[in-house]
Amino acid sequence: MRCGDFRESYAEDMAIFDSALPRRLLALFLAGLVLLPAFATSYWLDVLNRIFIAIIAATGLNIVTGFTGLISLGTAAFLAVGGYATAALAGKAGLPFPVVIPLAGVVTAAVGLVFGIPSLRLKGLYLAVATLAAHYVVEFTVTHWESMTGGVNGISVPAPRLGPLALSDDRRIYFLILALLVGLTFFAKNLFRTKVGKAFVAIRDQDISAEVMGVTVFRYKLLAFAVSSFYIGVAGSLLAYQARIISPENFPITVAIDYLGMVIIGGLGSILGSIYGAVFITLLPELIRLANDLVAAHWPAAMGLLAPFKSIVFGLVVVLFLVFEPDGMAARWHHVKNYWKLYPFSY
Amino acid sequence: MAMRQKLLAATIAAAAAVLPAQGRAQAEIKVGGIFDLTGVTGDVGKVFALGVEDAVAWLNENGGVNGKKVKLLAQDYAYKKDQAAAIYKRLVNDEKVLFIQGWGTGDTEALKEFVTQDRIPYFSGSFAAPISDPSKFPYNFFVAPTYSDQLRAWLEWVKKDWGAKPGNPKVAFMYGDNPYGRAPMNAGKAYAKERGIDVVDDEVLPGTFQDATSQLLTMKQKGVDYAYINVTTTGVSLVLRDAKKLGLAVKFGSNPYGFSESLVAVAGKDAEGVTGVMPDVPYGEPVPFMATLESVHRKMRPSERGDTMYVRGFSYVLVWSEALKRADKAGKLDGPGLKAALETFRDFSTGGLTQPITYTPTDHRPTTTTAIYQIQGGKLVKVAEYTMPRKPEWLGL
Amino acid sequence: MEFLLQLVLNGIVTGSIYSLVALGFVVIYKSTGVLNFAQGEFMMLGAYVCLAFTVEYHLPFAAAFALTMAFMAVLGVLTERLVLRPMIGEPVISLIMVTLGLSAILRGVVQAIWSTDLRPFPAIFPTDPVQLGPLPVSQGYLYSTAGVALLLVVFTFFFKFTRAGVAMRATAFSQQVALSMGISVRRIFALAWSIAAVVSAIGGVLLAGVRGGLDAALALFGLKVIPVVILGGLDSIGGAILGGVIMGVLENLAGGYLDPLVGGGAKEVAPFIVLVAILTVKPYGLFGKVKIERV
Repeated sequence: MRCGDFRESYAEDMAIFDSALPRRLLALFLAGLVLLPAFATSYWLDVLNRIFIAIIAATGLNIVTGFTGLISLGTAAFLAVGGYATAALAGKAGLPFPVVIPLAGVVTAAVGLVFGIPSLRLKGLYLAVATLAAHYVVEFTVTHWESMTGGVNGISVPAPRLGPLALSDDRRIYFLILALLVGLTFFAKNLFRTKVGKAFVAIRDQDISAEVMGVTVFRYKLLAFAVSSFYIGVAGSLLAYQARIISPENFPITVAIDYLGMVIIGGLGSILGSIYGAVFITLLPELIRLANDLVAAHWPAAMGLLAPFKSIVFGLVVVLFLVFEPDGMAARWHHVKNYWKLYPFSY
Repeated sequence: MAMRQKLLAATIAAAAAVLPAQGRAQAEIKVGGIFDLTGVTGDVGKVFALGVEDAVAWLNENGGVNGKKVKLLAQDYAYKKDQAAAIYKRLVNDEKVLFIQGWGTGDTEALKEFVTQDRIPYFSGSFAAPISDPSKFPYNFFVAPTYSDQLRAWLEWVKKDWGAKPGNPKVAFMYGDNPYGRAPMNAGKAYAKERGIDVVDDEVLPGTFQDATSQLLTMKQKGVDYAYINVTTTGVSLVLRDAKKLGLAVKFGSNPYGFSESLVAVAGKDAEGVTGVMPDVPYGEPVPFMATLESVHRKMRPSERGDTMYVRGFSYVLVWSEALKRADKAGKLDGPGLKAALETFRDFSTGGLTQPITYTPTDHRPTTTTAIYQIQGGKLVKVAEYTMPRKPEWLGL
Repeated sequence: MEFLLQLVLNGIVTGSIYSLVALGFVVIYKSTGVLNFAQGEFMMLGAYVCLAFTVEYHLPFAAAFALTMAFMAVLGVLTERLVLRPMIGEPVISLIMVTLGLSAILRGVVQAIWSTDLRPFPAIFPTDPVQLGPLPVSQGYLYSTAGVALLLVVFTFFFKFTRAGVAMRATAFSQQVALSMGISVRRIFALAWSIAAVVSAIGGVLLAGVRGGLDAALALFGLKVIPVVILGGLDSIGGAILGGVIMGVLENLAGGYLDPLVGGGAKEVAPFIVLVAILTVKPYGLFGKVKIERV
């Protein structure tokens, strides 16, 4: 591991990996992920698929909330838009998935753009409530536009299809989701090395100064909403393809709160944070369920306690993280990494 | 790399092919349970689950299925479809259950593709009419008249109660905005038209509503005489309470998941005179099997109030354990074998807990007879019984 | 006409309960700058604790009520000390998240101890409706509206004329200046949280008493508080009260007139749409203090 900071060019300064070792480790890790389906049971593949989808959506949310500073409670609504767009494009129009997924993302980006308009006038909690309104409007539309969405019964989604190829189970769709995840994560990471990404961060830090310096704040705020919604829309699309059926009850406001928890616990303004947060929050209910199953084997009454227990643990985790590690898991990871980088020296 | 992967995959496939056979060789039948213990229908879902669990315990103590014990792998899905799907995948792919005891309308309909593809018989707590049509839901079963038939029966009672008064009775439907709530509405409206009953109002009761006043006020404005409430007992008690506060003179009727001893307990005086459809008898009704059921309940749930949902859970176990016995005797203890066994049921008796049960390969409606009960003096009293004609055009509607 | 009046009246009455919860929210925000999303859960917990005292310990209602208030006051102080004190200085979103986490904990604890079944709540008020002109109104609702009106007066008085109230406003304005003037900011925070907890518990008990039943869904009222306080303005007590009533009336009007047109669900979404419309004209709510930004 390299210690110390020695950059000789702008390119080096902007590099994501500062040496060959992290790059190689990442490649190894990705290879491992690709091989995983050969060993995993279908249940764990389902969990992994859901984790990957959550990472994509959490990255999207982090772009608008962590990097641009605009609190958004519309994640559930945008997931729904992506999912229903997919159901319509794949189910009714019968398009193949390489067309459907980007198109669903674009539709969601358009919707996100519309709901980002209040950000011109509103800040902080007031903006968050406007996005909350977005949530209820989308929920209402979805439940009542029955010809398009099937209303409360939900709508089934065919398997992702490309010619004769159909990704009809968790094992097969895994590769699609993994590929999109890797692509989108790298895009996000690179976004913040570009002018656009830096404009986002400037808006978060001090928007009036940013405006004074020439960053058209309103335009970039809308762009942040659009990009973020694109990500969340793609995640929603994958969700629809993976679960094969979506209905309004898949998208309650608690989903938006969960995602907010993911980016905060993971680390606002950090791509790695989105990953950690998404993995953690998605895995948490599964771990609790496993624990509950173990306990219920000896004490059957415990089964009814699963739901409250999930609630308590989620709440405790959020509170404890925020109290003891307010910058999130990514920050903690950096502390640990830096400690070992400089070991045995402290500074 | 590719060769090793192929070899590994081949080994795993071989192992997987051997394992299910091993599962069947053991003297144990695995049943998956997907229950709502803590979700929005948890008030009735929990009691139903207790009924199923206790019935399985009783079954195992009394000879099991031709000597084989039944193992119920019960899970709480809190009425969330995606949870139900995840639990289903785990139960079928990893635990290799023979069939599933499920619950809600929405998730049962959502899992249809997988259930049919995997050939896993699926018992639902939902009595939605589409589920009883084997051409669409070949592996789904339930133990009660369809929601639609039950609503039709209640409308018959309305007709009788209206008697010779001038004009047509005015009826309102109050229901939750979900598949369970909406299930029988179209059938109800069509039948009402046939029988000269005016359905003048539809009121939607949102998810976890606290206050139904505006809905009730609209009903009052439209001069409603009778109203059918299609939500679970908790919601029904809230509506009754609000109606009492407004001094409404509407006669209320409730659905099979909104009418039980617990409604009496929770709503108290507000529930007097309310009618309801009951596919199972109330707890304590003097029918042949009730003595056994009561002794099991007293032993295992001494501090719980006896409830018709408990009876319902028991009745399900009686039905599918009989089917398991028949399938086992025929040597076909698997999904399709169980389905075939169920389809041999002709007026099978559950000891009086329910109406006699009949399934055929083309019609999974177990019965079309519904009993109407009324709350009189805090007790559930039978006031009528109607048998709907088993019309082929009503199959699935 | 009668239909409209009845809807409006019902709206005022349910709105007064919203106002009560919003009041607690605003009190905390005004004094500490924290947005407490656990307000609904405080309501629910207060009602459950009161129920436990009445039903399980068989205390007379007045005693149970007093004990519940005491319990909630202590809970408020504890929450502030354990959860909020370490979060001083953190950005808004972390504070929101921490209270959301707290709400999840409280929800889980209540569900674990008392399960999700609807439990009959002792009727605090006589159940027969009273006739106000052509409209029957439940007495419980009248009492709760009166109670809320009383609290409004009390709190306006408190914040304007008492030392503690003025100290709270000073702390909200600038903690550093308040400290330099000799105000114990720690005590102010503790006071704010216990007031908010007690006020929401009163709301919870009132609501459960009027409904005659209590279940975990009571906490969902808390979510409704957010549009109310935004409408009224985050730091305005009068705004919270007015916002609550407006929201209640809006909901009922939407339910009565729009629901039949769109087949249900308008009751939930209409208030939000109106809210967004109002926010575009008044971005800090009807009575909120406009933040003047400095670079």
